[in-house]
Amino acid sequence: MKMENMSLSGLDNTKLEALAQDIYSDLVEDACLGLCFEVHRAVKQGYFFLDDTDQESMKDFEIVDQPGVDIFGQVYNQWKNKECVCPNCNRSIAASRFAPHLEKCLGMGRNSSRIANRRIASSNNTNNKSESDQEDNDDVNDNDWSYGSEKKVLIRQMDNVLFSLPGELSSSVNTDPYKYNYNTGINYETLGPDELRSLLTTQCGVISEHTKKMCTRSQRCPQHTDQQRRAVRVFLLGLSATSLPDSNTAVESDGYDASDGQVLMSRLQWDGSSDISPSDSASSKASTNNSDSKKPKKKKKTSLNSTGGGGGGSGSVGGSSSQGCLAGQANRKKPKLPVPPAPSIYDNLN
Amino acid sequence: VCQDYIYDKDMEQIAKEEQRKAWKLQGRSSHLPLRRCVGEKYSTWEPTKRELELLRHNPKRRRITTNCTIGLRGLINLGNTCFMNCIVQALTHTPLLRDFFLSDRHKCEMQSNSCLVCEMSQLFQEFYSGHRSPHIPFRLLHLVWTHARHLAGYEQQDAHEFLIAALDVLHRHCKGDDNGKKANNPNNCSCIIDQIFTGGLQSDVTCQVCHGVSTTIDPFWDISLDLPGSSTPFWPLSPGGDGSTLNGESHLSGATTLTDCLRRFTRPEHLGSSAKIKCSGCHSYQESTKQLTMKKLPIVACFHLKRFEHSAKLRRKITTYVSFPLELDMTPFMASSKESRMNGQYQQSVDVFNNDNKYSLFAVVNHQGTLESGHYTTFIRQHKDQWFKCDDAIITKASIKDVLDSEGYLLFYHKQFLEYE
Repeated sequence: MKMENMSLSGLDNTKLEALAQDIYSDLVEDACLGLCFEVHRAVKQGYFFLDDTDQESMKDFEIVDQPGVDIFGQVYNQWKNKECVCPNCNRSIAASRFAPHLEKCLGMGRNSSRIANRRIASSNNTNNKSESDQEDNDDVNDNDWSYGSEKKVLIRQMDNVLFSLPGELSSSVNTDPYKYNYNTGINYETLGPDELRSLLTTQCGVISEHTKKMCTRSQRCPQHTDQQRRAVRVFLLGLSATSLPDSNTAVESDGYDASDGQVLMSRLQWDGSSDISPSDSASSKASTNNSDSKKPKKKKKTSLNSTGGGGGGSGSVGGSSSQGCLAGQANRKKPKLPVPPAPSIYDNLN
Repeated sequence: VCQDYIYDKDMEQIAKEEQRKAWKLQGRSSHLPLRRCVGEKYSTWEPTKRELELLRHNPKRRRITTNCTIGLRGLINLGNTCFMNCIVQALTHTPLLRDFFLSDRHKCEMQSNSCLVCEMSQLFQEFYSGHRSPHIPFRLLHLVWTHARHLAGYEQQDAHEFLIAALDVLHRHCKGDDNGKKANNPNNCSCIIDQIFTGGLQSDVTCQVCHGVSTTIDPFWDISLDLPGSSTPFWPLSPGGDGSTLNGESHLSGATTLTDCLRRFTRPEHLGSSAKIKCSGCHSYQESTKQLTMKKLPIVACFHLKRFEHSAKLRRKITTYVSFPLELDMTPFMASSKESRMNGQYQQSVDVFNNDNKYSLFAVVNHQGTLESGHYTTFIRQHKDQWFKCDDAIITKASIKDVLDSEGYLLFYHKQFLEYE
């Protein structure tokens, strides 16, 4: 089309229409040509085929919109058995229980109130520095940024709560919906001596170095030895001479009430004496251990010595928290335990 | 000879180079939001010979059409981690973020191999893998708890708090900052998180005596809005509140709207005689009014409805229904609008040609239950107008009505029109 210097004002309608028509057809032609060139180029450069997709597999990905199934056509709630590997300890954990496991694994357990208090302090600090806090300056009542105050309440609730064992302990009043039964182990830190005692009459109780939980298997559990079981009982209940009723009730625990000592003693009959055993169910388990320990006195003394010797070193794996726990327990029974926690337990576990 | 059009590689190389130079010479204006994004003339992708070979050998190509499930995936609940799952769903369906990660734009600068951005990238790979079984985000949980210790702990947590912590860690890791030690100037950061989520909130404090204004601008990642029914009074609104049906919300029904909440947020507030500010004009302490407006809007605006009240006396959840629109115009809440109002310009009807402040809803996080125990779910938008409900491992189709009728806790809006630099 020729470029002409024309004044549009002088033209009548038909000429204007013709001009518009010309411009329009030019535009259409350009668009079509553009498309042609694109396709031509795609074919020549060899990528025209990319637009093709595999029809069959495309059907697999169609969205499903039916009741009772999700968009993939799968029924709900079939994912109960998923597992994953913990990046911290490399153990295989059920996916739906990974969060509580990770909390313990990373040493952030709720029961460790020191860590919790530290967390509260740091969460208040973090909230104050958070750059999204800007709009709160004018709101006096606005607390929902300081999650720390919420945490304080939660921690207090936690401290009053005992892990609920299947039928074993007096249950907490707490109806926390997110309380869970930690079936693979029990945290001894929150349990009082009474509970520990009754626990240890029926269960293996050896404390895992990984999770710091007590083994809930039977007293004949093959994963742990009797020596380990004895060591745990010494560690948790503070008695050294757990075998013989006629020896000093406890070498170190001078402050224990005599009656308590007797009761404790009878519960810890490992070595064949079929003396009073309040929990009958334990007696058969206890009796099978007879063959294992031939020289009770010496063995006990040995473990005692190692207990006495290694007192200070228990700071290695969460030892400090267990120290705190023991002191707590001791307070309930009045005296302090002169024997610090035994690192020998962990040695045995290794 | 063959009389066909040909494409000569060398000629094209030269042409491309010249075109690029010409583009640069044209110059670009500086008010555009995206910095350092493409900086070059946009050219469609063409595969290299090697790529062609690969593609030819692998004919099972999938194309993501509207009726395709690719891009959607459930997330296993790891033990009360729905607060994390709902935020992950919102982030993986943020279009710009998705494009960034799918085009492999992250270059890791972290020393250790605990980069959350890398994990995020991996997450997108999982979502677009075509797998139908739900993904188990245990590595993500581990990384977030390692880098944001204040969050860690097996308790029910707040999704909003998780969002802010996650954005913070992602932002730090974009710069290779492992432990938050490097000085970060949030106004100058060009990481993808800041490009997408950071806006500027302007705070004007006006002295009642000399009318001098002291202005500060602070960066924000989200806007927390008070609701009626909380212990802080909701009404009265700012003098500018006209009861017109702005943003297509109906005021007749009496339900509170998101716009109401925003109006309240940006109202001038008299600070009272107990909170006098030192005025640099008067050189003394005077009463003042404070007003918040948006100086700069982020590309993705997240509105947090403050439903969890933690005042000294009570802790409760506010379940007041707040209606929110599909499309939102933020113009009345901008600092520039406030200036024109103050300069006496009568606010005309909304300028339909100014598209800078128009936003579209693309994700809604909801909380069902009480303060102590509840469950989070997310509605996300895919392929322009399809909505899906993400309830941990279960993804189902949802209607727009489902979304707009829901209670709303976190609302994610995306700018409608983006200009590329």
